[in-house]
Amino acid sequence: MVGKLLIYVAFVASLISIIGFFLAHMGKENFLKIGRLFFHITVIGVLTAALYLMYNVLTHQFQFSYVWEQSSTDLQLPLLVSTFWAGQEGSFMLWGLFTAIIGIFLMNYVSKGERMEAQVMAMFTLVLSFITLILILKSPFHYLWETFPKDVEFGYQPAEGRGLNPLLQNFWMAIHPPTLFLGFASLTVPFAFAMGALLKNDFDSWASFSVPWILFSGGILGLGIMMGGYWAYSILGWGGYWAWDPVENSSLIPWIINVASLHTIIAQRKTGGYKKTNLLLSILAFLLVLYSTFLTRSGILGDSSVHSFTDPGAEVYAALLAFIITFSVISIGMILFRFKNLKDIRTESSQLMTKESLLFIGALLLCASALVIFVGTSLPIFSKAKVDMTFYNNMNLPIAIGLMLTMGLSLYIDWKQTDYKKFVNNLILPGILSFVTLIVLIIIGLQNPIYILFAFVSLIAFFINARIAVRILKSGKMNVGGMFAHIGIALFFLGVIGSAKYSQEVNLSLQEGKTQEAFGYKFTYVGANPFMDANNKRDTMYAFNINVEQDNKEMIMRPVMFFSKFSNGVMKSPDIAYFSYKDLYLSPMSLEEPSPYPSESLYSLKKGSKTKANELEVEFIDFDFGTMQKGGKEMASGNYTLGAILKVNDGVNTETLNLKTKFTEGTPSPTPFTMQNNKKYVFYFLNMSVKGEEAGGTTASVSIMDPSTVSSGSEKETLVVAASIKPFISVLWTGVLILFVGFILSIVRRRKEILFKQPEKVEEVKKDSNPKNKGKKK
Amino acid sequence: MTGKIKIIIASVVVVVFIVVGFMSFMDNKIDYASFADAQKRLKTVEVKGVWQKDKETKYDAEKSTFTFYMKDEANTEMKVILDGAKPNNFDIATMIVAKGKVKDDVFYAKEILTKCPSKYEGKGEDVKKSSNL
Repeated sequence: MVGKLLIYVAFVASLISIIGFFLAHMGKENFLKIGRLFFHITVIGVLTAALYLMYNVLTHQFQFSYVWEQSSTDLQLPLLVSTFWAGQEGSFMLWGLFTAIIGIFLMNYVSKGERMEAQVMAMFTLVLSFITLILILKSPFHYLWETFPKDVEFGYQPAEGRGLNPLLQNFWMAIHPPTLFLGFASLTVPFAFAMGALLKNDFDSWASFSVPWILFSGGILGLGIMMGGYWAYSILGWGGYWAWDPVENSSLIPWIINVASLHTIIAQRKTGGYKKTNLLLSILAFLLVLYSTFLTRSGILGDSSVHSFTDPGAEVYAALLAFIITFSVISIGMILFRFKNLKDIRTESSQLMTKESLLFIGALLLCASALVIFVGTSLPIFSKAKVDMTFYNNMNLPIAIGLMLTMGLSLYIDWKQTDYKKFVNNLILPGILSFVTLIVLIIIGLQNPIYILFAFVSLIAFFINARIAVRILKSGKMNVGGMFAHIGIALFFLGVIGSAKYSQEVNLSLQEGKTQEAFGYKFTYVGANPFMDANNKRDTMYAFNINVEQDNKEMIMRPVMFFSKFSNGVMKSPDIAYFSYKDLYLSPMSLEEPSPYPSESLYSLKKGSKTKANELEVEFIDFDFGTMQKGGKEMASGNYTLGAILKVNDGVNTETLNLKTKFTEGTPSPTPFTMQNNKKYVFYFLNMSVKGEEAGGTTASVSIMDPSTVSSGSEKETLVVAASIKPFISVLWTGVLILFVGFILSIVRRRKEILFKQPEKVEEVKKDSNPKNKGKKK
Repeated sequence: MTGKIKIIIASVVVVVFIVVGFMSFMDNKIDYASFADAQKRLKTVEVKGVWQKDKETKYDAEKSTFTFYMKDEANTEMKVILDGAKPNNFDIATMIVAKGKVKDDVFYAKEILTKCPSKYEGKGEDVKKSSNL
């Protein structure tokens, strides 16, 4: 009751708050107070509801369906906390919580000075309002007896919950989703600023005070996305960090747009250009967050993703759809409403080689990349098809090359006029360094011409940005955030070239004790150890010890597999040896139990034809289906008994044997049979296989062996692993970290700028070279 | 003048991008198909179906291929050879999505997705059971 009530209060208060802010926008300044008051009530409602849910999770209140479904008493604290957002209801709650917290800071921020408080807060609260509406429809505060009225009586409290999916039982589960949701929630702010600017008909001032927020979103969302990549790579064993999966793509698209808007908004502050572009991109980034939520939460992509989706029900589907449609309509409506004013804004400078043009090209390339990913990801909605990863890779490759080129060159180009002699001189040193590094890369194996080009432009971008960063740092200043971010991206791409294009993979079947060689390493499977994970008391896990030897140096690698009772399937986790320039990645595939039937004893018998088996002559007559229907229900279930009738001649006698075998879930447990007068050979019927008529029709797989010649215990279990070498993947992760540091440095710098240089906004307006715009300001 | 050149260059780039993009899109589009469709076309497709438990199902450790029989939604059965080990949750999957091509009456799969719709959802009848874990 309490939880639901809090959400209702928050929802109603948000509506009143929106009205208050809107009336304040219409000029009735008194209503600003009402807007603020009810905004605070909304925030308090959402915060206490979230706290209440956290309390329910921490104290195991299993009478709540959500807590019962996601959580259990055997989880350790970080994972117990993470069950808060393990399901849909909780992740909407988390989204609401972050939006509310951001709202507190935002309100504090916009109430200072002329920052369009009424307009911005009206839009921001509308978003929060929709999130609380979804929380009403998909509440984490349902009791079990409300969810399952047929099975559970009023007031029943189970002693234990279902527990967290073992796939999610990982440290990253505690930090990846919150980071991503914080990023998503923060994109509401630039959207609210852009919409506020449209409402107020003031397209200038927001450009300066929205920059720290855009940076914050970019940094956090980027970090969240790459955390997901690292999780997939290091724990989930997907083999790579990025699979162009709809869930990954749909969070990447808003990030790319956000980064594009970051560049054009900085250009607006310098030159006054890109006013329309900035409004559009800030709005688009947020609408794409909604689109992403819709794609991943509505169940619409059920068939085309490795992420498992649950169908949230028609109400939530409709609410999510309404969320996108409402905000798209409002956005388009506002743009049309201000269309006349927007049209008169001056267009950008027409010179090709200015910093402004290059920034524009960069932003355009980013948008092209977002468009490519958007089209590919959306395809399953519109048709019975999807696109292969190759599409994303091939299309983004030329875009990335263009991006690296602009990212390097734009730094040596001025906002107004560039001295070409100086420009060329500046390029000499980075050019030489890049060229030398490229030669080294070619010597160690870089071959493909287009990747050589990609590596070259990435190196140029790296050296130019590094050189400028060093120069700035030497002069004692700290405004190197942008350069750091660029260095990070350049390293990231170099890591992508190495790891994506030059990875090698082989499947190794490692019979216990037998050594196999691959990539210059000697692999020997030396047996498995059972162990218990602190967070999962239900399943015994197995670490498969593989001795890896190279140049007389040995190490043990331990990929893990176990049968999970929760998901009723085998869970696999890789082990990775990290070297400075490459990773050795061992992904467990399966454990093959030793077969009691040696391969030389196996015969595939065709119906009606005679086969020689040692001194025996064997003819397969037919299967004995007993009372079963061939291919009927019993057989489809996998639980049945099937016989194979053989006519066997040992040179003296001819006997007919009916080899009966019991199948459990399709796995045979054959009964041994012998001839009456010749006990030398034992017969086992293993399986029937149906091949195409050309291949000989139905056959029976039979083992005919002489037990005296089979040495028991010689066969050992075989571990199958996929071993791969991934070059330069450490460069990729280093790049990601440097990128994030770059964002942080930029946020610190821009925040200071805004806090200590209040009148900057006015300066910017004065710089605006176009007199036409001046009269328009309110 | 420079403005005009800029527009011409930009238009050429945009047109090339769209044409190349469209071609790449058509090349890499993977349709959902039946085995019958897959047999007619040489392109990679995705086939949805159900594993036939009563038919041969085995993993070849040497070649690292997993072989099984699958019946698609049009009730056509075909042998499927996956390049790799038995996929996760294969035994309990209610639906299998295999990506690959047909060659000589065998569907060679590069990738298999297993679908277990109710896997992560709690059911009413489980509420009381979970207390006994």
